[in-house]
Amino acid sequence: MKSQSNGKDFCMFALPGLFCFLAVVIVPFLYGVYLTMTDWNGVSQVKNFVGLRNFGAVVKDVQFWRSLVLTFKYVIFVVVIVNVMAFGIAYLLTRGMKGQNFFRAGFFTPNLIGGIVLGYIWQFVFSRVFVSIGDTTGWGVFEASWLSDPAKAFAALVMVSVWQLSGYMILIYVAGFMGLSEDVMEAAGIDGASGWVKMRHIIMPLMMSSVTICLFLTLSRAFMVYDVNLSLTAGAPYGTTEMAAMHVYEKAFTSRQFGTGQAEALVLFLITACISGIQVYLTKKKEVEA
Amino acid sequence: MKRKTASCISLGLTLALMSAGLAGCRFGFASDPDDPNEQVTEEPIDTSVDTFRYDESLRGTKITLLNSKAEIQTALEKMGAEYEKKSGVHIDVMPVTDDSPYTRVVSLYNSGNPPTISILDTTDVIALAEEKAADLSREPWIEEARGYLTEINGKVYSLPLCIEGRGIIYNKAVIEEVLGEAFDPETITTLGEFEAFLERLAGVGMERPLSLAKEDWSLGAHHLQYIYETYDGTSQGTEEVIRQMKEGTLELSSYNRVSEFLDAFDVLKKYNVSLKDPLGADYDEMAIDLADGKTAFWFNGNWAWPNLAEAGAEHEDEYGFLPYFLNNDPKDFVNRQIQGSPSKQVMLDGQMATEKEQAAAREFLNWMVYSEIGQQMLVKTCNLIPPFQNNPYEPGDPLSRDIYEKVHEGRAYNASAIVPNDHWSVLGAAMQKYLAGRSDRQELIDSIQKYWDEQE
Repeated sequence: MKSQSNGKDFCMFALPGLFCFLAVVIVPFLYGVYLTMTDWNGVSQVKNFVGLRNFGAVVKDVQFWRSLVLTFKYVIFVVVIVNVMAFGIAYLLTRGMKGQNFFRAGFFTPNLIGGIVLGYIWQFVFSRVFVSIGDTTGWGVFEASWLSDPAKAFAALVMVSVWQLSGYMILIYVAGFMGLSEDVMEAAGIDGASGWVKMRHIIMPLMMSSVTICLFLTLSRAFMVYDVNLSLTAGAPYGTTEMAAMHVYEKAFTSRQFGTGQAEALVLFLITACISGIQVYLTKKKEVEA
Repeated sequence: MKRKTASCISLGLTLALMSAGLAGCRFGFASDPDDPNEQVTEEPIDTSVDTFRYDESLRGTKITLLNSKAEIQTALEKMGAEYEKKSGVHIDVMPVTDDSPYTRVVSLYNSGNPPTISILDTTDVIALAEEKAADLSREPWIEEARGYLTEINGKVYSLPLCIEGRGIIYNKAVIEEVLGEAFDPETITTLGEFEAFLERLAGVGMERPLSLAKEDWSLGAHHLQYIYETYDGTSQGTEEVIRQMKEGTLELSSYNRVSEFLDAFDVLKKYNVSLKDPLGADYDEMAIDLADGKTAFWFNGNWAWPNLAEAGAEHEDEYGFLPYFLNNDPKDFVNRQIQGSPSKQVMLDGQMATEKEQAAAREFLNWMVYSEIGQQMLVKTCNLIPPFQNNPYEPGDPLSRDIYEKVHEGRAYNASAIVPNDHWSVLGAAMQKYLAGRSDRQELIDSIQKYWDEQE
């Protein structure tokens, strides 16, 4: 009796969602995997099976591996800076200071602006505003547009991404801090824990569930970065800031090598999935309950 | 105390993050592009005479048009409405918004809902035509567009929509003001003379008289493609040189157009207004600089007119093109002619469209070429340079007018390189590196060679 109604409930609540998930995620994904083994050019009606030839082309695509290395570098910077900053700011914003709601809203705002718009705004800032400041003040660092130098353009990308992502992570960390049990904190205080000790042994373990979520979100978002990359640098100067996702798109649609592009997308997916999976497994192990 | 410190840090951070966004407001454009008082003047169309014969059986047909030339979107809608009034055929004009035209048309084909008519780039038509397009080889307008047709295995699948030309744009008034004498563009006939002229301008206070865009499409397509297109100035010659490069039979270091091109590019580089930071150059600012007289030259094409107009240039101003000088031989055609070729192609769907829809689409193309209204709208409403001999109307803006005149006086060559689709982006990056002085000639030549070696 019970199991019957459970089955009905399951159908009612899960099936529509499951159907949508299958239709827009799983089926296209499997179809995409199939396409990596064909020579389809995106238009023709004939798709010839070519086996693993496209993956061979991926191995030979030097630019793809270069962009992947760059993506790794970007991911490390973004994930570390975003999480450290968000954690710190969230800590400050949950100590009951004046106007903290205003600050929370302020930090969250960049996240509400779409990546493309954000990229264009910052492009203007880096190539016009900063240069203008450099002209008036004579500061060497702002003399030329940041976007015309490979290292500075990369730094610009990291800065803008941090600016955009931090707000969202702050929100999650703030929720985490607010969920900390007062009893536990007080007990820790009575037992003599304060400052760094309290943070290291009491707060951090209790915050691990927030850390898991935030790390996962920043990791996956940073690996798949495309919009900010496109509108801020578009790979410039001379292709030195082209991240993996952008390279995949360029390969498929600009170079019109659909098979290779699709295979590269699959490689990128596998890498991201593995790393995120390992991260979730490791941080989950550290989670404790109060 | 602690709270106060925390509050200060937070406030500081918030302000720093927000001020960066707000600071943008004070560094605006010279002329406000959204000025509500600005009057958009449009040339009136005379619709009183119309001798075009409409096919009555097509009345009520609905067709779609995919437009990849954003600047004529509204003009095309007006054209469609005018055509509907006369023919009874409704045309839905869809813009290509955020995708590339090719991506858009391919996704429409894959969704089983392709546009009846698509305005695409030549490379897109070549990629799609044999599989998807209707054969237009027997259309009457073929005769009017001779010399500007794209043939694929002996068949024509597309109508050339307009001619676009490029070269070194000059602002005559600015030059005359700086030099204090009349300027005749005809007096510059070689690269050496052009360099001397730039030096003269530099001598009288205009230190760097030229703008050079850093965009990869400009460097990779508009600059670099001169090495193919100046082979002999014809499309056949261009095709031949590209074939040889693909096969590896043409040694780049011994092909003199390459070294000549680099000589010319070096001159442009030397007098570039953003010499200090060439990759930080801003496209919008270049139009403003040329219109305001900070510079006298800008390497670009007639499509730059809307930018110049926005920056304050008027239809009566004297702007025109100098050729892309390659060497010091005044008899070489490259020093006397500018490049002008058909740029957008109109393709009809021959796969999914019904016969009636195809007939309506064909009629629309003929209407653009033959009807008095279509001819006028192509030139006046869309502001295009039509490649059709029978169109008597002259374009209105000075850049298009200059190209139109040069084409009709035989001072333009119509070679147009058909290169792989990623040529502009891959080699554009190599050109950017060269422009920024971070690679030398040999490295650039090697990247071009490598690119062609990788082509199948």
